[in-house]
Amino acid sequence: MNEYANPWGYRLQWAYMLLIVVTLMAPVFYVMYVSFNENGFGAAEYVFTTEWYGVVFSDRLMMNALGWTVSLALCTTLITVPFAVLSAKFYKSATNKLPILFLLMLPLFVAPDIFGSALLVYFKNLNFAFQWLGDQLGTGMFDAWFRLGFMTALIGLVIYTTPYAFIVVLITMGRYREEQTEAARSCGASPWRAFWDIEFPQIRPGVASACAFSVILCFNEYTRTSLLKGGFDTFTTVLVSQMLNTGMSEQSYAMSAMVSYVAIALIGGIILWTLIRSEKLGREARAKAEPVPV
Amino acid sequence: MRDAMTDTQPAVEVRGLAKHYGPVRALDGVDLTIQAGEYFVLLGPSGGGKTTLLRTIGGFHRPTAGQVLLHGQDVSGLPPEQRPTGMVFQQYALFPHMTVERNVGYGLSLQKRPKAEIRDKVSAMLDQVGLSGLGGRKPHELSGGQQQRVQLARALVLDRDILLLDEPLAALDAQLRKDMCLELKHLQEQVGVTFIHVTHNQEEAMTVANRIALIADGKLVEEGTARQIYEAPDKRFTASFVGENNLIDCTVVGTSEGAATVDFGSGQLDIATDTRVSQGASATISVRSEMVSVGSKDDPGLPARFVESVYLGLTTSHRLRLANGTEVVSRVVSSADHPLEPGTPVTVSWPPSAARLHID
Repeated sequence: MNEYANPWGYRLQWAYMLLIVVTLMAPVFYVMYVSFNENGFGAAEYVFTTEWYGVVFSDRLMMNALGWTVSLALCTTLITVPFAVLSAKFYKSATNKLPILFLLMLPLFVAPDIFGSALLVYFKNLNFAFQWLGDQLGTGMFDAWFRLGFMTALIGLVIYTTPYAFIVVLITMGRYREEQTEAARSCGASPWRAFWDIEFPQIRPGVASACAFSVILCFNEYTRTSLLKGGFDTFTTVLVSQMLNTGMSEQSYAMSAMVSYVAIALIGGIILWTLIRSEKLGREARAKAEPVPV
Repeated sequence: MRDAMTDTQPAVEVRGLAKHYGPVRALDGVDLTIQAGEYFVLLGPSGGGKTTLLRTIGGFHRPTAGQVLLHGQDVSGLPPEQRPTGMVFQQYALFPHMTVERNVGYGLSLQKRPKAEIRDKVSAMLDQVGLSGLGGRKPHELSGGQQQRVQLARALVLDRDILLLDEPLAALDAQLRKDMCLELKHLQEQVGVTFIHVTHNQEEAMTVANRIALIADGKLVEEGTARQIYEAPDKRFTASFVGENNLIDCTVVGTSEGAATVDFGSGQLDIATDTRVSQGASATISVRSEMVSVGSKDDPGLPARFVESVYLGLTTSHRLRLANGTEVVSRVVSSADHPLEPGTPVTVSWPPSAARLHID
């Protein structure tokens, strides 16, 4: 910190940052506030209740949608994150990095509705082609491969989340020194052992963040999912559909608030754990830093 | 551990080794033999190919052409983990998430040795490199010198026959580097393993080496003991890189058995040489600065003018200019120095055996 700087400038920066955070989070806090109102959204009288949190688990539509969303989020994460790790490793070792970066970032540069509708048309055509192939071969085994459903929604989400996961992993991997892999190999480790024993523990925070990111993005995503999901509903599509038609139900507010609690607790927990750990490591290092013979 | 000193096979043989990166020839037909138990140094300027050579011996680069033989066995196609070599890197090579003990024991744990054996070996090795009591620390809690000792321990604990050291002291400060040089030398004598050490620092090379190979432009320029390389360089490049040599261009004007007469433009000298030279050939002579004497203008020698003196503590360097414009440096012990005025006419001379003739 510049010790000659005006202290009010520093305070102003903090105030500005807090204002941004509060502005971003205010709608979420409002949803939480409404979720505890017995009279629901827009009522003149606020009566505190936890009733909607109990009701939410008996709302079959909502629970089904949540189940589908969680399944999609888990499958997307299981595919996206290992792919992001492999891509980041390939990127680091490549001589010509720009084309790889461009290809991996490409999904970010296409508007979600255009990308979603393009995939929709692509899958429909592919579905026709596979059905025709099945007819020619006298088998029905190809009929459902690209019919709109879980699989197509999953592909859409994997394409959507990969750039984010790649960037998050790459940032952590950027700090890793390749000499450590070479040192491990000179100790007798195979490339896989060197990765698993030496590199992975050091990029683990990035991998964990990429997982969290993928899950949150899956909960967040509406356009591609609604175009590619076929016959089932996800949490977001239910919420949007309710808002467009009848307005959000009280239990929808409760469910939204619960998802937000989990996300905030998860990310807050990671940040808190990181802070406590770095403080503990710093304390240990300072304690051991007394002069020692070289 | 193999009894390195009694092993008749060379520890390392490099035959016609080449490594090309597109049009760049990082190594170009290098032949080298390193005996078991030697402390061998690859010395040369940055970008000359010495690290590429070391890394190719270690299996981190696949050669474009040629062979690497370790104890007579061709290992050119083997990855590093399948070679009988250990490696010490310049820096950043310790595993930061592991304690010193786990770093040192990592290779042994890969070999699935019993935990008690790993503990005992690690403890003994930490003792040997002077790090007893620091096994529980993480790498960031150690000084640069201690970190390099951990790397040494990690490589030596595996009982490999050949240890490759890639500029292991380059990241240390000058005093620590000097201390570590001697420690490395003594450690190598204790363990008897073949050490191959890359450095661009000639003082470091001379401190530790049994033999030195000079590598530049991807080629092996010259090899020999530290004394041979310093006192009797065969190649002009060696003379320019090792020590403080005066290089004076000349023309061969006469030849006889074991000697040649050269002309500097401002005088002629007879020089003993084993090199076959022909009359009229362009050549260079090299003379170490500490062998050059400055005399009064009437003394025998090449006429010159005094330019300036540079006081360097123990020694003082005198810069002199010959009549043909070539600059010559004479280094004397400061306590025996007699200051001169710039522009003073003097003569420079050296013992006949101090000059080397280079035709390359």
